[in-house]
Formats: sequence, structure tokens, C-alpha cells
Amino acid sequence: MVSKSIPIQLIYLIVGVLIGLAAGYGVFSITAPPPGEAPVGEGRTYTIGFTLPLSGELSSIGKIWEKVTRLAIEDLNNEVKAYGLNVTFNYEILDDETKDDKALQNVQTFAQKGIKVVVGPAASSQVKVVKAFADENKIVIISPSSTSPTLALKGDFIFRTVGSDAGQAKALATLAYQEGARKVIVFHRNDEYGRAFADFFINYFKDFGGTAASQPYQTGLADYAAEVSALAARVQSEGFDAVVLVSFDTDGANILSHAAESAILSGVRWFVSEGPHGASELLTQSVGEFAAKVRLYGTRPLFIANPLYAEFKDKLKEKFGLEPAVFCENLYDAVKLAGWAIIRAGSYDGDAIAGALVEVAKTYYGPSGWTMFDEAGDKAMQDYGVWAIVKTAEGKYEFRDVGVYERGSIVFIEEAY
Amino acid sequence: MRRLKMPQVPWDVLSSLTVMVVQYSLLYMIFAVPLTLSYRTTKVINFVHSNFVTYGAYAAILLNGLYGNRNMLLAAALAFTVSGGIAVLNNVAVFRPLDKKGAKPVALMISSMGLWIFYKYLLYTIIDLATYFSRINFVSYPKIVYEWIPSLSLGSVKLSSSFIATSLSAAAMIAGLYALLEKTNLGRAMRAVSDNPTLSEISGIPRHMVVNLTWLIAGGIAGVGGVLWTSYAGSITPEAGDSMILQIFTVGFIGGLSSLTRTCIGAVLVASIENYGITLLNQFFGVETSYKPFLTFITLITTLVVSPPLGAGGGLPYKLFRRAGRSA
Repeated sequence: MVSKSIPIQLIYLIVGVLIGLAAGYGVFSITAPPPGEAPVGEGRTYTIGFTLPLSGELSSIGKIWEKVTRLAIEDLNNEVKAYGLNVTFNYEILDDETKDDKALQNVQTFAQKGIKVVVGPAASSQVKVVKAFADENKIVIISPSSTSPTLALKGDFIFRTVGSDAGQAKALATLAYQEGARKVIVFHRNDEYGRAFADFFINYFKDFGGTAASQPYQTGLADYAAEVSALAARVQSEGFDAVVLVSFDTDGANILSHAAESAILSGVRWFVSEGPHGASELLTQSVGEFAAKVRLYGTRPLFIANPLYAEFKDKLKEKFGLEPAVFCENLYDAVKLAGWAIIRAGSYDGDAIAGALVEVAKTYYGPSGWTMFDEAGDKAMQDYGVWAIVKTAEGKYEFRDVGVYERGSIVFIEEAY
Repeated sequence: MRRLKMPQVPWDVLSSLTVMVVQYSLLYMIFAVPLTLSYRTTKVINFVHSNFVTYGAYAAILLNGLYGNRNMLLAAALAFTVSGGIAVLNNVAVFRPLDKKGAKPVALMISSMGLWIFYKYLLYTIIDLATYFSRINFVSYPKIVYEWIPSLSLGSVKLSSSFIATSLSAAAMIAGLYALLEKTNLGRAMRAVSDNPTLSEISGIPRHMVVNLTWLIAGGIAGVGGVLWTSYAGSITPEAGDSMILQIFTVGFIGGLSSLTRTCIGAVLVASIENYGITLLNQFFGVETSYKPFLTFITLITTLVVSPPLGAGGGLPYKLFRRAGRSA
């Protein structure tokens, strides 16, 4: 029912709201700073966009990254102040649900807001989807964790503060071969990261003289018991002597905990990519015992004996009570590089910032080491370490770096098992 | 594709695979039977069902992480309360008001999708707070080892404590639901409401009370399913229920969202197709295991085409069958 006489107060209210809106809009459009960069007082404020996997498959890492982002922005602002620059950095984090299309949407949202520098997305498959839009609109994308060799392309707007997996696949192949594996099955994520890693691994492993087959598994499942069972059947019937697992953290932990219950899979060696490193679910008793039984080793990108990494690790622990998850240090450095590149670029424009980023990275050294980019925009100086799950004196389990990849071979620095 | 070769699945793989199929069948029953139960009484295609499972799992996880609880009964009681409570709350706050306004089933389904997203992010917020105060990573949590539950070895076949707990729970659920629906007045009232809501109301059955109770039981059972999941899955995330929604709905649709017996058969079918199917295809034909969800999809689509659930289908085959007088 619509009443015929509208109360006069309501008309006043509506008119009032309309005037308010109009006035507000007017004032805002006069005083509104150009997007992305905003003058505050006499200084300037820049916003860096982040598309992080706060939910979905990589959320366990993403939640930790969110805190690393806060830490990095805070440190960046302090550093900039210490240099006497009147610049402040803000951050805006959008959740990409570990999904490809959502990451693209986020980058487009940032682009509409005039933001020219975006840190993330995490997964290679996401970076691949974002790439065309970023190149076209000159948005500088800095991924701290995309490692697929297929994205090592010259002259684009994609930068990665971690080395391409071409390097890690070689380190892992060396590790497996040196440890005596000759016939391996690569059990890998069926995505950009997993497929490329597996291809490179298999090529290197065959070059060494071994044989290798691959077994991809679907990502994003609630559980991997059936996949592990199929893997066990193949290991048994074809006589593989080792499994190479290329996974993220949650799926990796899931797979390893099911493998721990399989007699067949407990009887072969296991070698693992960097994905599961740092995942707290791996530090349970059953996985810990399994790791010792199969002498499980993994590789991961790191900068050998970097005191800044130790410092970063302590800071994260002290501030948030967190152990760094995989690629936390690369994220931290990505933020710092983004900030200094914006300052160095002089103008807030994609081309200038991309150019400045390359220059800044040449002389920057952080928790992830020396950040210089190669010509494809990936980390040029990337070492690889060997990690293991080690039992501590108190009977708990922890991740420890027990070896390094150096000049084509693995050098163990301590006994893990 | 790898070469074709003579069939060979080692015996110990086959036996452990069979144990797994049984466990998955029982788990899918516990997940999907309440979906069928709630649909046939309330006619809501309920996406929040995946939240019931996840919230149940996280009730157990938070009890374990924050208070060190390893008693599965306690966890199950809390999970039943939490998930059942959410289900009743949804009905009181959302479904019933919408129903009163004459909302169509599609509108109810869409509102359940809204709630689904809401609950998912609410859980992330709760977990964030829990992580902040306890400094434990709850976003990805390892399998919980519960105490007091034995494991068995029958020759070379190992039955884990999770298997035992799942079997007991499934048996209790089936016995309980049978007793409730067949032997009690309340159960008869529930069946009456699902057969004909209007008629049941005219004949003096307190329909809203019956609907609320149905939601409580349905949500509660799914929540207990979540607790069982924490004892089985290799790692648990806030996406656990969501990533099983395809399987749960497939099982429910095989049951026509109306028959509990057929839902149980559906659970066995889906578990077998997923686990035996992919292992055999992988062994004998070199089909990659990553095709597993594809098998589930084919099952879902076949079910929808051959025997669409009443009300949810209404597609061409359903109407044709109906005209031919096959589906009454």
C-alpha cells in the first residue's frame, strides 16, 4: 500500500540526503588526489596492491603472508622516513581465493583505482592469467612465489623475486640421483607449477642416466587417499625406487600423511619440492616417523647462510608468533623492492617503475638474499638448499636445512636421519 | 597415455583400497543422508550443508588445538550442537521468513548459497582470531589422533581407528534414523510433512517444530561427519566441506533427494567409482588420476539425466517419464 500523502519530514530528509551527496561528491572530486598516489600534508602516499590467497587452496600460506605484508610495509615506511623522505606507503590486500580468474579481477580492480604496482598473485597459474592484462595496462606484477619456468619471459611486466624452477628441478634431480634413486615416479600437481616442474625434473633426471615417469593429480581436492593408493599400485607394479612429490603445502601434507600408512610407499625413497616446506601439518609424529623411515629430503630456494633471513625469522616469531611459511622472505623483499622502485621511478607510471625496479634490485639485499633480476625478470642469484624433517631433543619435529646445492652437486652439512 | 598391459593390482593395494572404499562409502553416507533428510522435509536445496561439515570439523579442531581435546565423543557432541544450531538458525532467520513471503524453491536455494559464502568467511574470521590468540595455524590442520578408539588388524588388512569410529557412527546413524522415522510419532510426523506439508498441517502436526527438528538432526549429523573427517583426512582446511560438495550432492541426487536407502546406495556407488575406478583406469589404461573429479561429474550428470530428483530436476527426461506414467 502506498500512502497518498507523503509526510513533509520525509521530503526534507530525501532532499537533505541528495544535497549532502552532491556536496560530498563535489568536495571529494575537488580534493581527491590522483589515484594510486595521494599527497598527504606535504608528503606523498602511495598504495601498493596485493592479491593474496587468503582463502582457497593456499590460504594457510596466505594468512601468514598477510602478516609478512604488514611487517614489510611497516619496515619500508620506517626506512623511507630514516632517509628523510616524506613518503608513506599504504597497502591494500584483496583475497584471490587461490583462483586464477579472481586474481585477474583483483588486478583489474587495482588498475581501475590507478594502482600501478601489485604484489602477488602466488601461484604460477594465476600469474599466467594476469600477465596479458598487466602487460597491456603496464601494471608491474611482482610475484614472490611463482616459479614455473614457462613464465620466464623477457620484456614483460611480470617480475618474480624467486628463481624459476628450471634451477630447482635440476637441484632436486641431482639430489635424487646422488642419493641413489634410478627409477623415479614424479607425483605432481596438475597445474602450471606442477607440470613444468615435472617436465624439467624428468629431463634433468634422464640426462643423469635415470628413468622417470610422471603421475599428475587433480588439485583442490578435500583428500588425496585415492590418489595415494593409485600411486602405491604403480610403485609396486612398475618397481619405482623413489617418489618425487611436487606439491603445495596442504595437499603435500595430506599426501604424505596417507603415504605414511602405506607399506609400499614407506619402502621407497621420497624427494619433495619446496611447496610443503614450513607447513605445520608435516610436523606430526606419523609424518615425522615416515620422513625418517624413507629418508625424506626436499629442496627449496634460499640464500645460503643469510644472516638477514635469521633476523627476519626472529622478527616474525617475536611479532606474530609465526614460523615463516614458504616464500615469506621473497614476499618481504618484493614489498621493499616495490616501494623503492616507486620512489626511484620519479613518475608514477608502469614503464618507469618497471625500469626502476630492475635498477633497485641490483643493489638490494634482503632476507631472500641478493634480489637482482635476470633478463626474464626472475631472481638471478638463486641458491637451493636441502631440507628435512628432523626430530628435536624434546621429541618434537622441525624443518631443518641440512644441505646445499653447489656447483652441480649436493653437499650435506649435517646428518638429518 | 601409457602402454596397455596385463591387469596387475597387487593384493595389499587392493585390500587397502577396499578398506578405503568402505570408509568413503560410510563417510559419504554420513554426509549425504542428512542432505536428503533435510531436503525432503524442507524442500531447500541447501548449500550450507557443506558448512555443516566444515563447522563440525572445526569444532573438533578448535577443541583439539585450544584445549588439547582428544575425546571424539566430546568433539562430536559439540559439532552436533554447532552445526545443528546453525541449521535451525538458518531456518528461523532466513528460510521460514522467505517461505512465508511465498519464495519459490529457487529463491530458497539462492539464499542458501548466500549463507554458504557468509558462513565460509565467518569461519575464516573465527580461525583468524583463534590463530591470533593461540599462535597455532588453524587454516591447515593435521589429522587428529583421538584416544580410546582401537584399531584392528585382520591378517594383512589394517582397520584404522578412524575406520572403526566411522563404521560405528554410520551404524548408529542408520539405526537411529530407522528407529526415529519408523517407530516414533515424531518420525511419522517428519515423514508426513515431507509427503504433504499442507495436509500434515491441517491434520494437526506442528509443522514448524517438525521442520526445525529436522534441520537440527540434519545439521547435527553432517557436523558429526566433519568430526569423523578430522580423524581421516590427511589435512583439514576451511575448504574441506566445499571441496566435497560435488560428491555429497551426487550421492544425494542418486538418492533422488527423497530416499534414504537410495542415498546410502549412492554413497557406495560414488565411493567405488571414485576409488576403484580411478585406480583401475590408472593401472590398466594409464588414465591420469587427475581425472577423478571427472568420473564424479559423469556420475552426477548421468544421474540427473536418467533419474532427476523430484522437484530439483523437472528437465525433459523427468517430464517424459512422468507422462509415460513411470514416475509417480
